[in-house]
Amino acid sequence: MAILANNNTRVLVQGITGTQASFHVRRSLDYGTKIVAGVTPGKGGTEHLGIPVFDSVAEAMQQTGANASVMFVPAPAVRGAAQEAIEAGLDLTVCIADGVPIQDMLEIRRMLKDSHTVLIGPNTPGIITPGEARLGIFPENIHRKGRIGVVSRSSTLTYEAVLEINRAEMGQSTVIGLGDDMVIGMDFIEALDRFADDDETDAIVLIGQLGGMFEEVAAEHYKNMNHKKPVIAFVPGNTVPFGHKMGYAGDIISDGKVSAQDKKDALSDAGMVVVDRISHIHGTLQKILS
Amino acid sequence: MNIHEYQAKKILNRYGIFIPRGKVAYTPNEAKRAAVHVSLRGPWMLKAQIQSGARERGFFIDSKSKKGGIRLVKRRRDIVREAEQMLGETLVTEQTGPAGKLVSRIYVEAFQKVRKKFYAGMVINRVVPALTLLIANIEDGGKDIMTKAVENPKQILKIKLDLKKGATLRQIEKVRRFLELNEPSRKHIATLIQSMHRAFIENDATMIEINPAGVTKRGRIIALDAKMSFDKNALYRHPEINRLQDDYEESSRELKAQKYGFQYSEFDDGNVGCIVNGDGIALAAMDFIKTKGLGACCFLNVKGGVDRDKIAAGIKIIMTNPKVEGILINILGGFLRCNLIAEGIIAAASEVGLNVPLVVRFEGTNKEVAKEILINSRLPLIIADTLEESVDKLIAAMEESE
Repeated sequence: MAILANNNTRVLVQGITGTQASFHVRRSLDYGTKIVAGVTPGKGGTEHLGIPVFDSVAEAMQQTGANASVMFVPAPAVRGAAQEAIEAGLDLTVCIADGVPIQDMLEIRRMLKDSHTVLIGPNTPGIITPGEARLGIFPENIHRKGRIGVVSRSSTLTYEAVLEINRAEMGQSTVIGLGDDMVIGMDFIEALDRFADDDETDAIVLIGQLGGMFEEVAAEHYKNMNHKKPVIAFVPGNTVPFGHKMGYAGDIISDGKVSAQDKKDALSDAGMVVVDRISHIHGTLQKILS
Repeated sequence: MNIHEYQAKKILNRYGIFIPRGKVAYTPNEAKRAAVHVSLRGPWMLKAQIQSGARERGFFIDSKSKKGGIRLVKRRRDIVREAEQMLGETLVTEQTGPAGKLVSRIYVEAFQKVRKKFYAGMVINRVVPALTLLIANIEDGGKDIMTKAVENPKQILKIKLDLKKGATLRQIEKVRRFLELNEPSRKHIATLIQSMHRAFIENDATMIEINPAGVTKRGRIIALDAKMSFDKNALYRHPEINRLQDDYEESSRELKAQKYGFQYSEFDDGNVGCIVNGDGIALAAMDFIKTKGLGACCFLNVKGGVDRDKIAAGIKIIMTNPKVEGILINILGGFLRCNLIAEGIIAAASEVGLNVPLVVRFEGTNKEVAKEILINSRLPLIIADTLEESVDKLIAAMEESE
């Protein structure tokens, strides 16, 4: 089971022939991920790393039965690649690129509204279900199969969370990096819902980030969930020194609630266990699940 | 990326928003000429051009006068003296931090009398996500906009706009009623909102703020101040905006880091230099350093860098910062491979020397290879396995080297 990706997920790679794509596709294949197709316009009919390459996502889906994709295309090409993935009707698409223009993401979000596709990212390490599928750039060797779900807005702290779960002598069901851009696809709410429905997940580690009100909204949702699982949450940035600001609009839109403490308070009020240090996760996990 | 008030006003004016007559000046004499050019008899507004809000309530470092960065000048003969007090001086506001910002130019405007003021902002609400219009009344002597936002968010009208079409007629009417604008202002408020929307969309802006907008006796709406920020990821489609970037606003180290695609920030907080590959790990490291009684003075985020030479150049930025008394490197490799960082450390150290304790912690992609590279280099650096261990080891080494 796990969520969103497992060993039945048939993955196609958009922009498969690039250097970085090749490096990570090889690793994902070694990990056992079912990568069935690549898409690079103009290179249809060729093979790359032993995988058939097609000109379009639709063609690759038809020929190989792919149902998910990883985009390794550069930021300016993301809008087009996402549109292709959404229009072709993939269940899941993961966008690795850093630097996608915000308006492009707003347009992508509008396309997603009328489709069933789930988009993870951009600017994310992706999603990994240990022992089954790696869609993205996760350092796969640190992951262990287990029953803790991870969802994080911070890429680097996702890895810290995974190491903490390992320290607790537990493992991960699925690990999702939501990405840390201004506008993202999947959010905490969807991840919490999916983990709640997954019978291979016992508890969730949630890592927040400064900026936006994603944590506040997630807290409100968690409070109202009918059947929920324990969540351990961490938000860095308690001691963040003064950063230069420009105007007030950014603070007004979040009702002046912008600090890590505001987020932690919201998560804690909703019934999540908030830890002050990332290294407290393993002990807290052991306590909660014993 | 931010631009100055006078640049933002020029852009908004191109989209049909009224602005007072104004001219930029770099010297006190230029200010005097600019004043005559924009209005014969005055009064005039002299406005320090730094990229920050709350300039009026700010103060100049080492200045006898308590006046801020926005000044109303009634007599022409006072202009040179007032301009002298601002140009070349450092202005501190609640948004600049204690170091303040150097005023290299001022904007000289014809004073505009208005009978009412209001706040108009446009920003992206990330969670929805949606382009959002923010409107609030400004009463003379009343609460400032942030106090309202925190105490009673209902005092600020927030309207979701369609990305492509902007505000509907109904939404515009809602704004007009909220602001209690009368009939003659009807078409002007519509122009203001639609022009802000077009300027936002066509330039890949992330924020427009008109604080305040003024309503004249005849109902015209004028932008008395303006701020615009742009999406740095979209600057490639707007070379004309990219050119407006003001290098005075960034430190030379920040500029250098940007050139390599990295992000560099400085703080007045301590003497640890940190090299990381993400915001999350940067903040978590900073939180932890603080619990140990130390502080970070600079951060370099090499993001997903994959070029060894660029990484070396980035590391040199930290190594050559004279405030740095210890360096902490925390890399959690995914896309970024740890071995490239290891090679970058060695290249940088061999060029500028390693004079302060350096602790490295690697996790993730190619971690073992990277550790081996460092050990074989015989550089006097310390290797750690966890974030907390790396901080503890650095503190011990810094105490020892004192």
